[in-house]
Amino acid sequence: MELLDSFLPHGLATVIWIVLKIVLIVLPLMVLVAYYTLAERKVIGFMQVRIGPNRVGPNGLGQPIADALKLMFKEIILPTKANKVLFLIAPLLTLGPALAAWAVFPFDAELVLADVNAGLLYILALTSVGVYGVIIAGWASNSKYALLGAVRSAAQIVSYEIAMGFAIVGVLVAAGSLNLGDIVRAQDGSLFHWFWLPLFPLLVIYFISGVAETNRAPFDVAEGESEIVAGFHVEYSGMTFAVFFLGEYANMILISALTALMFLGGWLSPFQGTFLEPVFAWVPGLVWLFLKTAIFAFLFLWFRATFPRYRYDQIMRLGWKVFIPITIVWIMVVGLAVVLELPWWFD
Amino acid sequence: MTVFKNYIKSLFLLELLKGLRLTGRYFFAKKFTVQYPEERAPMSPRFRGLHAQRRYDNGEERCIACKLCEATCPALAITIDVEAREDGSRRTSRYDIDLFKCIFCGFCQESCPVDAIVETRVYEYAFEKRGENIMTKDKLLAVGDEHESQISADIAAQAKYR
Amino acid sequence: MTFELFLFYVFSAALLYAATMVITQRNSVHSALFLVLAFCCAAGVWLLAEAEFLAIVLILVYVGAVMVLFLFVVMMLDVDQASDRAGYMKYAPVGVLIAVVLAIELMLVVGPGNFGLDKFASPIPHAADYSNTKELGRVLYTVYMYPFELAAVILLVAIIAAIGLTLRKRPQTRYQDPAKQVQVKAADRVRIVKMATEKKWS
Repeated sequence: MELLDSFLPHGLATVIWIVLKIVLIVLPLMVLVAYYTLAERKVIGFMQVRIGPNRVGPNGLGQPIADALKLMFKEIILPTKANKVLFLIAPLLTLGPALAAWAVFPFDAELVLADVNAGLLYILALTSVGVYGVIIAGWASNSKYALLGAVRSAAQIVSYEIAMGFAIVGVLVAAGSLNLGDIVRAQDGSLFHWFWLPLFPLLVIYFISGVAETNRAPFDVAEGESEIVAGFHVEYSGMTFAVFFLGEYANMILISALTALMFLGGWLSPFQGTFLEPVFAWVPGLVWLFLKTAIFAFLFLWFRATFPRYRYDQIMRLGWKVFIPITIVWIMVVGLAVVLELPWWFD
Repeated sequence: MTVFKNYIKSLFLLELLKGLRLTGRYFFAKKFTVQYPEERAPMSPRFRGLHAQRRYDNGEERCIACKLCEATCPALAITIDVEAREDGSRRTSRYDIDLFKCIFCGFCQESCPVDAIVETRVYEYAFEKRGENIMTKDKLLAVGDEHESQISADIAAQAKYR
Repeated sequence: MTFELFLFYVFSAALLYAATMVITQRNSVHSALFLVLAFCCAAGVWLLAEAEFLAIVLILVYVGAVMVLFLFVVMMLDVDQASDRAGYMKYAPVGVLIAVVLAIELMLVVGPGNFGLDKFASPIPHAADYSNTKELGRVLYTVYMYPFELAAVILLVAIIAAIGLTLRKRPQTRYQDPAKQVQVKAADRVRIVKMATEKKWS
């Protein structure tokens, strides 16, 4: 930073420095997304007593790169009666929010691009904006399957956002802050100071709503291969499809990371407060965060390998009649606990 | 009471956890995938793959153009033209099998009185151009010549069941 | 020109452009999407005014939920544009009159007489750790508690009214009750009978 500042005008150096940081976040994220797709195929394969892709490179490690190359060189088909501009903007609207949300994400105690006070709200807002990609794609394709998929997905995302928002309210009541870094710091102490224990129902609801929000199995009615072909992205091919794909997986990683951050103490070491703490003191917080994120990312895949797709009315019932009441009840419980300063989480 | 019990069960996602446990167990199960080009699944001597025409040991083709295979073929995949050869024997002048029509039922092999048309263990073949799907007599004989040892061994192994 | 000022002009220009497009676009889906753009630009302007909570809530509520439902309806409608324009000239004078009256009213209220720069002390920029959200919460739940609760009750009444208006029994429609369906156990549907085989296989 100082180096850049010395030979550039003041404002420009800041901008370049920020862009550099963005690249440093987005590039590893994209690699992670690519290898998450491989992990998905491997994990689901293993659960189905197969071994998954293993041909490209050692153990199939080159598979994501081969897939990316293939998608890049495929033709992008524009349906004749599609709305060209919106058709091409839609995939970007899916990927954009999924990447932008990482701006406020604290990777370590000091490692955050933008340390904003309303970070949690910002993330909630961006995840809710992600639905536009799906809706616009469905409408611009001028195809009935795409439109049906878009409608399903829109209703589903709007419904589950409420449960998700309430779960987040529980977290912010417990932490007393909207700043993601402060939320992690509020969980400081030990494994049992993390919010997963006092907010367990909210953890379950937040994560399941996250699965629904990203349109993943068992809530993937927006794609619903057996009923509406591929839902909102039937008409997409080549790179436009790849961008949708990237957006979906980036969202999954985001939800996993957020769950890890809000309920499993983010970058905090799991051995805090025990005799093992000095032994593992050399491990950077980023590693713990990554491991915790990996737990939830694995759950996404585990769910997909296990559960059959929900029927549409069941999804709506689950969201409105089960999740929202439970979250409201638990917010009251958490509120009481905070007011009574219940040890040892809320003191 | 049962309603209450069911309610508790669904609230704590017990049945979903059961499902997760099952797939979780299979995650660590031994994988049975056969790594195809390097490893092959065992194959029965009765395997019905690509067709072949056989010859006698002296090089004379077996087929006597009796047309039983053409008659029995349920998919009408076989077309045979017959002519008398110079030496007066009855031979086929054309023996085509359309592999697009063929359903690999093996009836032609069953019906053949001289074991001329057989289905071999060959299953790795592909067509790149239109027309390559027609197995002409020359192609059939070439397949037969190439795999004769395997074919005769398989037929010998199965002889007592026929 | 500072960077903030530059951003302000960019957002304002985009906001005005989007707002104009909302009312001039023929395609209603395009209009709705331009409205979304207008909301986003407005949120940007609010962010510059240090109202980050309001800006984010604008995105969260209006862009994330309300406009989604709007689009939902608009996409489903098959608008017949020819019949829309049928009475255009007939209603134009009334429309223009209303527009002019509205514009004059707005000018009288928001004109420089009431909102001029000299009427307000220029706001003091807050420190980086100043939480707009906390302040808003404090005011909302202390000073404005009563109006806030009233607004909540009115919204609740509106929700109940909307449900009451649309909820009607349709005896001819057959539908499933997922709540009952998930209660069903295998034992309710299948009876597994243990019985001896009737005949030994020979």
